[in-house]
Amino acid sequence: MKRFIDHAAAWLSVANLVIVLIFLVFPIIVAITMSFDGREYLGRFPPPVYSLRWYERFISDTYYLTGLATSLKLATIATIVSTAAGVCTAIGLDRYEGPGKQALETLFLSSLVVPAVVIGFALLLSFAMVGVFDGFTRLLAGHIIITFPYTVRTTLAGLVGIRKTLTEAAMSLGATERRAFWDITFPLARTGMVAGAVFAFAFSMDDVAVSLFLTSPDSYTLPVAMVSMMRTNFDLTIAAASVVLMVFTFALILFLDWAVGLDRLIGKGVFSSQGEPS
Amino acid sequence: MSVLQLSHVTKRYGAFIAVDDISFSVEKGKILSLLGPSGCGKTTTLRMISGFEVANEGAVMFSGIDMKGRRPYERNVGLLFQDYALFPHMTVVENIAYGLKHRKFDKAKIPDRVAEMVSLVKLKGFEHRRPGRLSGGQQQRVALARALATYPEVVLLDEPLSALDAKLRQELRFELKEILAAVNATTIVVTHDQEEAMSLGDSVIVMSGGKIMQQGAPTEIYADPKTRFVAEFIGRSNWFSGQLAPGTGGLAKFKATSGINMIVPVSGGHLTGGQYDVCVRPERIQIDAATVASAGTPVNEIRGAIRDIAHLGADLHLVVEIAGGQLLTVTEKYTGQTLEQTGQEVSISFRPRDCIVVPSGS
Repeated sequence: MKRFIDHAAAWLSVANLVIVLIFLVFPIIVAITMSFDGREYLGRFPPPVYSLRWYERFISDTYYLTGLATSLKLATIATIVSTAAGVCTAIGLDRYEGPGKQALETLFLSSLVVPAVVIGFALLLSFAMVGVFDGFTRLLAGHIIITFPYTVRTTLAGLVGIRKTLTEAAMSLGATERRAFWDITFPLARTGMVAGAVFAFAFSMDDVAVSLFLTSPDSYTLPVAMVSMMRTNFDLTIAAASVVLMVFTFALILFLDWAVGLDRLIGKGVFSSQGEPS
Repeated sequence: MSVLQLSHVTKRYGAFIAVDDISFSVEKGKILSLLGPSGCGKTTTLRMISGFEVANEGAVMFSGIDMKGRRPYERNVGLLFQDYALFPHMTVVENIAYGLKHRKFDKAKIPDRVAEMVSLVKLKGFEHRRPGRLSGGQQQRVALARALATYPEVVLLDEPLSALDAKLRQELRFELKEILAAVNATTIVVTHDQEEAMSLGDSVIVMSGGKIMQQGAPTEIYADPKTRFVAEFIGRSNWFSGQLAPGTGGLAKFKATSGINMIVPVSGGHLTGGQYDVCVRPERIQIDAATVASAGTPVNEIRGAIRDIAHLGADLHLVVEIAGGQLLTVTEKYTGQTLEQTGQEVSISFRPRDCIVVPSGS
């Protein structure tokens, strides 16, 4: 009987995995397939004929293209700013030993738990109060705020694994604190920093809730463009736009991974430092 | 002149005094052990010597030069960390060369010095491995090579053997001593392990509550502890509390509160008698009275019953119950003799000179 329960549990966990995978992957497959639909109208799945007509429409539609350009520009700048700020914050938090450390950490990560809609609305009100009406500036500020906690989080996670004695060892060997940071802490925490940048980029590309509030007629992101198109003239260009959004996000994540990938190998060696060949 | 000298060093954290007015010095090429339980101030002392902590009072001097205001990288100290603190993203060679680079060694000479250190710690063939692919013992040797490479004035070892298992520990202790002797390093060993302290150190300082309790050669500390704390911290001990009578001729009568009478050695301040504790080491107690007694020498003899015998290979550990229900630990070498039986009545004995007399409650 006991053994039966074990077997059942093992079987159930496999089944669970399969179901989750289907739920996650199936809609994406549908969206990708439909984006290649050859029919003029929105028909049943699967499409009987395939073509690139929706992609042609996408690249000839300046509304979408402007959105894509804004999204890419926004995500790139937001990632750079929030990674830089997040890394500095995390290093400060990691070193700070005084009272209120926990409270500070919670404060810096707080925008993770505040609903994005609330952040968007609050920002809109605040910007109106101080008189910032430029769409791109507002969007950038919003995106930095929503991506910042991820860069802090992942950098902190990377720093926690680095023992304080490593810095002390470097200092006892003649390195100044600054030198010890660049020689020891930075290379070891780099994996966490890159992970933060990847998250930041993905979340910035993906965001609708905050962006919706901060958009202006000439500065809107691709997801916002998709949402508004869905309301006005719903056709499969949205499916094509989704695929494009996915491809860009994916490509940039792969690029970041590749750019720092050589060092990530070293990073891996660090975190499984006990005995395993690297 | 002493290579390292601490004079009246005190370190406070708020109202808590971590290190309380300690002074000692170490001569060139000697090893000094700082021994004590956790929280006794030994690690704080080590950190003040290396420059990671700053003393509130007193001076830390290297070859007569006050280190006041010097950061760790401005002192020439070789530190061996308890967790080794090897740089995980660097190879053995890069780890060893790190100090040489930052201590501004002639670049052309670095490879030679590194090779020299690699062969000193017997790590040829492992030069290009990362620490993650070395065993615990090898990691320790890399850490030692890294610490010694820059010709440090003072070498500081923080619990150097505690991270290793018992067998490896013995092997590495010998190696460590040989390597330190080969480079004639002036060394401080900080440890809570009396075996480590006594086997490595030319002299031992026992610390407690931020103060130095006693300093001396390992044998001296073991044979002649001045306080109950030191006697209990170093080695195993059996205790009797009671009244010491005024002594004559180097010996005095001692009456334990349990009613047992014995003769103990007295000297100096003990001569007037009073409340004292007497310690007898387990290995100084004989189960067979005949082997101790010889004409003219007084012997302390106590009747008791064996409660337990543990056979630990080379040693036998016996527990003997004496008058008043007190349990004594007795160790004997096992050389094939017939073992006593549990419950057997025995007479145990020890010579007066095997008794250590310390002031009560010290």
